[in-house]
Amino acid sequence: MSTSELDRPIWAPEDIKDEELARQEKHLREKHLLLDPRFPPEANRYMLDPMYRTTREFWILFVILGGMVMIFMTTWGIQMYWGLGLTGLNRPVMWALYIVNLVYFIGVGHAGTFISAALRALKIEWRRPISRAAELVTVFALMVAALFPLVHLGRSWKFYWLVPYPNARQLWPSFHSPLMWDMMAIFTYLSGSILFAYLGMLPDLAMIRDHSEGWRHRLYAILSLGWRGTEKEWSNQETALNIFSYVIIPVMFSVHTVVSWDFAMSLQPGWHSSIFGPYFVAGALFSGVGAVIMTLIVLRRFMHLDYFLRAEHFNGMGMFLLLLSLTWDYFYFNDYIVSWYGNEPVEKVFSHILTSGWAAPLWFLMLFCNAILPALTLWSRKVRTTPSALFLVAFFVQIGMYLERYLIVPFTLGFNEFPYSWGVYIPQVPESLITVCSFGLVAFMYVVITRLIPVVPLWEVYEGQVLHGLKRMGRALIKTKAEPD
Amino acid sequence: MPRYELLGLYFDPAPVAEAITQIRSLGVPDSNVEVISRTPYKAEMLNRPTQRGRVGRIALIGAALGILGAGGLTVGIYMLYTLNQGGQPSILPVPPSLIVLFEITMLGTMLATFIGFLLVNNFPRFKSRIYDPQVTEGHIGVVARADDSLAIQVEEVLNRTGAHAVRRVEVTDKKDYRSRYFWGAVVVVPLILLAILGLFVYDIIRLPIPSQMVEQESVAFQQGPRLPAPAGSVPVQGSALIAGQPASEPVPVDENSLQRGQILYTINCAMCHGAGGAGNGSLASHFTPPPADLTTKDVQNLKLQDIFLIITQGRSKMPGLSENLSPTERWDVVNFIRSLGK
Repeated sequence: MSTSELDRPIWAPEDIKDEELARQEKHLREKHLLLDPRFPPEANRYMLDPMYRTTREFWILFVILGGMVMIFMTTWGIQMYWGLGLTGLNRPVMWALYIVNLVYFIGVGHAGTFISAALRALKIEWRRPISRAAELVTVFALMVAALFPLVHLGRSWKFYWLVPYPNARQLWPSFHSPLMWDMMAIFTYLSGSILFAYLGMLPDLAMIRDHSEGWRHRLYAILSLGWRGTEKEWSNQETALNIFSYVIIPVMFSVHTVVSWDFAMSLQPGWHSSIFGPYFVAGALFSGVGAVIMTLIVLRRFMHLDYFLRAEHFNGMGMFLLLLSLTWDYFYFNDYIVSWYGNEPVEKVFSHILTSGWAAPLWFLMLFCNAILPALTLWSRKVRTTPSALFLVAFFVQIGMYLERYLIVPFTLGFNEFPYSWGVYIPQVPESLITVCSFGLVAFMYVVITRLIPVVPLWEVYEGQVLHGLKRMGRALIKTKAEPD
Repeated sequence: MPRYELLGLYFDPAPVAEAITQIRSLGVPDSNVEVISRTPYKAEMLNRPTQRGRVGRIALIGAALGILGAGGLTVGIYMLYTLNQGGQPSILPVPPSLIVLFEITMLGTMLATFIGFLLVNNFPRFKSRIYDPQVTEGHIGVVARADDSLAIQVEEVLNRTGAHAVRRVEVTDKKDYRSRYFWGAVVVVPLILLAILGLFVYDIIRLPIPSQMVEQESVAFQQGPRLPAPAGSVPVQGSALIAGQPASEPVPVDENSLQRGQILYTINCAMCHGAGGAGNGSLASHFTPPPADLTTKDVQNLKLQDIFLIITQGRSKMPGLSENLSPTERWDVVNFIRSLGK
């Protein structure tokens, strides 16, 4: 073995004499992140520079979003003082926007861990640079989602009555209630997601510890727990991450299934449907992947992460979004056709109001956003790889999925088996303010965290770059992956 | 415990594997050698023995604890406080309990995996070990622990195989106290927090929240003294006499009243109860039970108001006459009925 062969580090470009092959190599490097290793301190800086810098844009966003958080908290405080009577809640619509938000944000929280865990278990390589940004979407969306039952609770300080502990009231929460399952599923998923994200973050926190001074150094020295990158640490981390991946995927499925059971376990027409579980899971992943796409595009634009987030990643995410749109179509049609064919009196009323009544604009807009627009646009590679176009499609998906939840919760609840008690819900100022500002709350936490932890898992990217290479077959260079057992 | 710790930094895995092979041939056991890197390398790439971790087994323990905990919550609490719900079986409803079982088992597994990961790696580690920040810039470090003469040989190997930086430090035998404090805090802090929470939850410290249910007046089930009904409330079972209302204001018995009563009786009552009130009117035979004999003691001993209410509301087959007779007219009829017994 010659010394030169030993000493060529992986980031040094291969010396290719053939002009045509050199052109192909350059093209492949531009296209694939994992074929494009850079000098490591330089690659670290791509992530650290935007993290350490707080630009004017950042502060403007910080103030706007912080203001939204203040409005959220103030409105909640006012509502706590005066009671839920301020909202448009009525009989029979006692579940409305807050529950829509709960379902919506849990849905958004679905894709992050799914992308990270499922794509990890399936060894899909384009997940590498996007997995942490996705996990963070999960963590923050779930946190805000978990806030909504409390907002909806009126007397929010009584939330601990849901916690099973031997208490002075001689009362235990009923473990046979879907609401209880819901609380446990969200708690399990939220704690699992936080631990999963933190486990995968340790090597990157250690990297920041090594490249910072002052308070940052002290903070990351604690946060990285003393990570050095020994074989033992890597091997234990891999085992732990694998266990988490395989455990958190069924938990992820259970969470939105249980959320759907909050509705489906009742006898309310339009809710009492056995397909609600998988239908909700599909919808959750759909809106969640859309939200992750939007987050990635914003991160790339404002943190200048062009090196890490490339067309190939948006292409993969776009295809994923299209696939989930079709899955959603399938489940929605299943749910719709059964009630349409059954022709039950109350469900006939829904059908009429949705297709030709006052709710028709909402219903058709939902179908357009969820089914028609993705199907018409996402088949095109050009749309999938153009960030602005993909952002727009993902944004419409959010509108469509929010409308879907709105039509499921307050709309359906207005029509029960007793026509004399039918009612329509009209959102009032408090819940509208809280709803709008809850998006600000998620964004606020996300904006703050982008300055504290690297949103791209650098070590996963570097690992991928070590394992990927080029193989010459005839006149072409082909991207290959080495897969150690 | 060997006296020295050495660290050599390399650019690439190939010379690292070479160095490890040579260090092993010097007689340094594998347990005294470590590789530190910014990306995970497989053991065989670096000519190192495969790592066997205990995280998986700890995760299984967590899963088992989760199953036990879930069983306690579902079965145990169901035994203590049976809560029959929507026709679910009275012994133990299995399907809903399975959901709780699933969630808590998964929670136990994940928590145990994380705690196990910390424990087997001795995280968090506050004591500084031999390390170089260049590792996170892509360099691969080989760490070896050896005694005096062996350490010099190892250093030579590191230099010879192309390590661009070699360091040697003396191993200190300091205990990592801060790590112990951390684990102590992990146990103690939640307990203290729980205790503080318990002060509020068990009403040892009571916050003056205006809507506290316990602050409201209440009486246990089937126990006295009965509280007076709140002002302005009305009974929901049967009628009641309310001062100032027609039923409480009888018309005095006089000639005119009795005469009016008789006329109204003949029109409204006589066809069933009979002209003399003996319950033998022309329609009487059509009813079972038959119309009451108004001359009997049972009827005559009724309070005036009761008779008034019977005429107003009806009883058994008898219809209420509130739409046919005004309250004053009803009192006239009451006076007339009272006169039938004499």
